Amino acid sequence: MPPITDKPVAPAQVVLTGNPNCGKTTVFNALTGLRAKVGNYPGVTVERKEGRLLGVAREITMLDLPGTYSLSPNSPDEQIARDVLLQRIAKVPAPDLVVIVVDASNLHRNLYFATQVIELGYRTILALNMVDVATQNGKAVNPRLLSELLEVPVIPLVASQGSGIAELRLEIVRFLDAPRPAHPGFFGDLPPVYLREIASLAELLGGQAAPGAPFNRHAEALLLLGDSRPVKSLVLAQPAPIQDQARAARRRLEEAGLDWGTKPIEARYACIAALCDAVITEMADVRETLSDRLDRVLTHKIWGVLIFLGLMTLMFNSIFILAKLPMEALDAGVNWLGQQVGRMVPPGDLHSLLEQGVFAGVGAVVVFLPQICILFLFIGLLEDTGYMSRAAFIMDRFMSKVGLQGKCFIPLLSSYACAIPGIMATRTIENFRDRLATILIAPLMSCSARLPVYTLLIAACIPDRQLAGWIPLQSLTMLGLYLLGTGAALLVAWLFKSTFLKGPPPLLIMELPPYKRPTLQGVLLHMWQRARMFLHSAGTLILCLNIVLWFLATYPHSAEREQHFAQLRQAVGSGVAPAGVGQAALAARVEREIAELNAQEAAERLQTSFAGRMGRFIEPVLAPLGFDWKIGIGIIASFAAREVFVSTMSTVYSVGNADPSASNRSLVQTLREQIRPDGGRLYTPASGLSLMVFYVFALQCASTVAIVRRETNSWKWPVFQWCYLAVVAWIMAFATYRLLLYLGF
Amino acid sequence: MSNQGSKVIKLSSGCTNPVTCPLNQVKAGTAVKIKQLDAPPEVAHRLREMGFCEEQKLRLLTQNTTIICQVCNARFGLSTDLARQILVEPLPVFRQAS
Ligand SMILES: Nc1nc2c(ncn2[C@@H]2O[C@H](COP(=O)(O)OP(=O)(O)OP(=O)(O)O)[C@@H](O)[C@H]2O)c(=O)[nH]1
Repeated sequence: MPPITDKPVAPAQVVLTGNPNCGKTTVFNALTGLRAKVGNYPGVTVERKEGRLLGVAREITMLDLPGTYSLSPNSPDEQIARDVLLQRIAKVPAPDLVVIVVDASNLHRNLYFATQVIELGYRTILALNMVDVATQNGKAVNPRLLSELLEVPVIPLVASQGSGIAELRLEIVRFLDAPRPAHPGFFGDLPPVYLREIASLAELLGGQAAPGAPFNRHAEALLLLGDSRPVKSLVLAQPAPIQDQARAARRRLEEAGLDWGTKPIEARYACIAALCDAVITEMADVRETLSDRLDRVLTHKIWGVLIFLGLMTLMFNSIFILAKLPMEALDAGVNWLGQQVGRMVPPGDLHSLLEQGVFAGVGAVVVFLPQICILFLFIGLLEDTGYMSRAAFIMDRFMSKVGLQGKCFIPLLSSYACAIPGIMATRTIENFRDRLATILIAPLMSCSARLPVYTLLIAACIPDRQLAGWIPLQSLTMLGLYLLGTGAALLVAWLFKSTFLKGPPPLLIMELPPYKRPTLQGVLLHMWQRARMFLHSAGTLILCLNIVLWFLATYPHSAEREQHFAQLRQAVGSGVAPAGVGQAALAARVEREIAELNAQEAAERLQTSFAGRMGRFIEPVLAPLGFDWKIGIGIIASFAAREVFVSTMSTVYSVGNADPSASNRSLVQTLREQIRPDGGRLYTPASGLSLMVFYVFALQCASTVAIVRRETNSWKWPVFQWCYLAVVAWIMAFATYRLLLYLGF
Repeated sequence: MSNQGSKVIKLSSGCTNPVTCPLNQVKAGTAVKIKQLDAPPEVAHRLREMGFCEEQKLRLLTQNTTIICQVCNARFGLSTDLARQILVEPLPVFRQAS
C-alpha cells in the first residue's frame, strides 16, 4: 500500500502522457496556453515541454511527455516517458497526478499503455480525446462505464476544438487533493506463479533508497520481468542485484512452462478486449474512410513517390523564394542596428567587437531565421496532417539502400537551406544510430551560406564559356558542387552505417495515423518554438564563438601601425585643394582616400592578427592544395560562417568593403589579378576548384558545431565530425588540384 | 522462437492453404489471423505491444514493396522484411475488402 500522506506541495506537478498521435500536444497547448517552455532533459536531447496550467489560482506545472506505445521503451523518447513515470530522473519532480490522453477512435491500442500507467498507482485521469473521430467511424464510447471499469475519472474531449478542456482543467484541480488510490490490481489475469515472482521482486525494488513508496512497485516489477533487455535507464541504472533477481525469476517462470515475455501482453490485451466490448457500441458498419482512399493514392508505389517529390520541391522552393525578402529585410535590419550602435560607441575595441563580432557574426546566422520558420511551418503541417509518417514510409525504401531510414530524408533536405534546422529536425528519428549518421552527414549538403562563396569563386576562376557549345561551364560547376556534396553524403552514410554505426537494420513498423485537419494555432506554435530554440542558440553559443573569432582576427594591436595610419589620414585631411578642383570634389576625394587608408589598415591588421598568423602557420598544409596564406585567413575566418569568406577576402585584399554586393565585382577582378610568387595566377581553374571542393567538404561553420554539440550532448561527435570532414576536404581538394594540374589547367 | 510445429509454405501469390504463411505473401484485401511471430524476442515483444498478438485478426490493405495493414482500427506500415516474420493464417472469407 502506498502511503496516503504525501500531500502535494505547491507547485503541483501534473504529467501528461499517451500514445503518439493521440492529440497530447493539442491538449497540452489548450491547457497551458502559449507560454510553454521547451527545453531538454538533463543528459539527453529529448524535448522537455513544460507549462503552467492556465485559468486556475493554484500553481500547477504541466509536463508533456513524449508519445509512447508502452512502458518498455524502444527509443530515447519513450525511455524518458518511462523514466519520468518511474521517477528515475533526479531533476524531474515526482508526478502528483497523471493525465493519460487516449484516442477514442483507437481505444484498443491506446488502452495498452493507459492500463500500464494506471497500474503505477498515481492519481490518474483519463482524457478520452478524439471523440469526434470515433463518432465519424461509427463508434460510441461510454465514458461513465469506462471510468467505472478502469476506476479512474474519464473526461471526454475534442481537443482540436477545445471542447472538454474546461472540464479536464476542473477535474485536475479537484483530483489533486484526492487521496492517492489504493494498490490497483493488474489489468489481465496473471497466473499465481507469476504474481508470486512479481511480489518478491517488488519487495526488492521497494527496499531501494527511494523514500516512501512513490508508486506501485508491483507494476514496476511486472515491467522488469516482462522485458529481458537490461533496463537501461538513461540516467540511473538498475542495480545489478535486481537484474540478477529478475533473471533468476524469469528462469523459474520458464521452468514452470510460462512465456514470461508474451504472457503479460496477452493477458492485458485479453482484458482490454473485454473492456472495449463493454464500453464501445458500434453504431454503423465501418465504411471505407477518407484516410483509406487518400492512402490508396498517397502511399502508392508510383503516385505516392511523385506526390512526395512534388511536395518536397514545393517546400524547398518556398524556403528559398518566400524567405528571400524577409532575409534581406533582416539583413538590412541587423546592419542598420549595428550602425546605430556603432554610432553610439566611440571607435575602439568595443566598437569593433560590437560591429564585427556581434552584429556581423551573429547577424550572418540570424538572417536564416525566415528559412527556419518556413521549414518548420512545412514540417509542422506535414506532421499534423498525418502525412509525415507516409512520407517517411515512402522514402524508407530508398534511404534504406544507404542504411538510413525514411525519416532521415527531410532533415537532409532541410540542410540544403542550412544545416542548423536540418540537424534540429533529426529529433524525429528515434533510432540513435540513424539520427547520428544523419547529423554527421548533414553539413555535406551544400547550404545556402556556401552559395556566395561558390558564386565568387566560380566568377573568378571558371571561364565564362559553353561546354559543347551550349552548356554553360559556370552553371555546370555549380551543379557539380551540389551533386558532389550529396553523393559524398550518401557514400559516407553508407560507410558509417556499415562500420561503427552498424546496427541491426531497423525493422520498419510505423503507425499511419488517420489524416486530420491541422489547427493553425498548433502549427504556428510549433514553428515559434523552433524559432525560439534557434534564436536562443544564436544568442548564446554562436555569440561566444563569434567573439572568439573576432578576437583572433583583431588582436594583437600594434600602436605603431595605428599611429602611422593616423598620421597618413591626417595628411590626407589637411590637403589643400589644387587649382580647378571644387570644395565638394575635394571632400569626396578626401573621403575616398581615407576609406582606402582604412581598408589598407584593416588588411594590415588582419595580416598581423592571430588569425593572420594562423593563416601563415597553416600555409604549409594548404600549399599542396594550391592555396596561399591569405586564403588561409579566409578559411579560418569562415569558421564563423562560411559566407564570411567573401568579406574577409575583400579585407585581405583591401578592396573597399563599404557595400559588399557592389564590391563583389571588383573583388572578382582583384582575385583574378592575384599573382603567385612564381609569377603565375593564383586563382586558376585548378586552385579555384580545389578551394570550392574544400568548401563542399570542410565543416567551416561554428554554429553547426555548436548545434551538433547540443543535439548529441557531447563534444565527442562534433569533434569527430569536424575532423573527418577536414581530412576528407583536404584529400579531395588535393586530388582535385593535382588532377587538374596534371590535365594542364 | 523458431517455427516449430506449424509448417511454413511459401507461395508466390495468395495463400490458399489453411496453413500459416508469411504476411508478405498474402494478397491485399485479405483478412488474416496472426499465428506466430518469427522475429527476434525484442521485435516480437514490440509487435505484440503494438497489437500484433497471436490470434489477433488483421486486414491487409496494400501489398507493394511495403505493406500496410490494419490491426484493431490502427493502421501500420511494415517493411517486407518484417512482414516475412509474421506468420498468418487466412481467415475463411467472410468479408473481402473491395
Ligand atoms: N478530429 C480531432 N483531431 C484532433 C483532436 N485532438 C487533436 N487532433 C489533431 O490531431 C493531430 C495530432 O495532434 P498532436 O497534438 O500533435 O498529437 P500528439 O499526441 O502530440 O502527437 P505526438 O507529438 O506524435 O505525440 C493534430 O492535427 C490535431 O489537430 C480531436 O479531439 N479531434
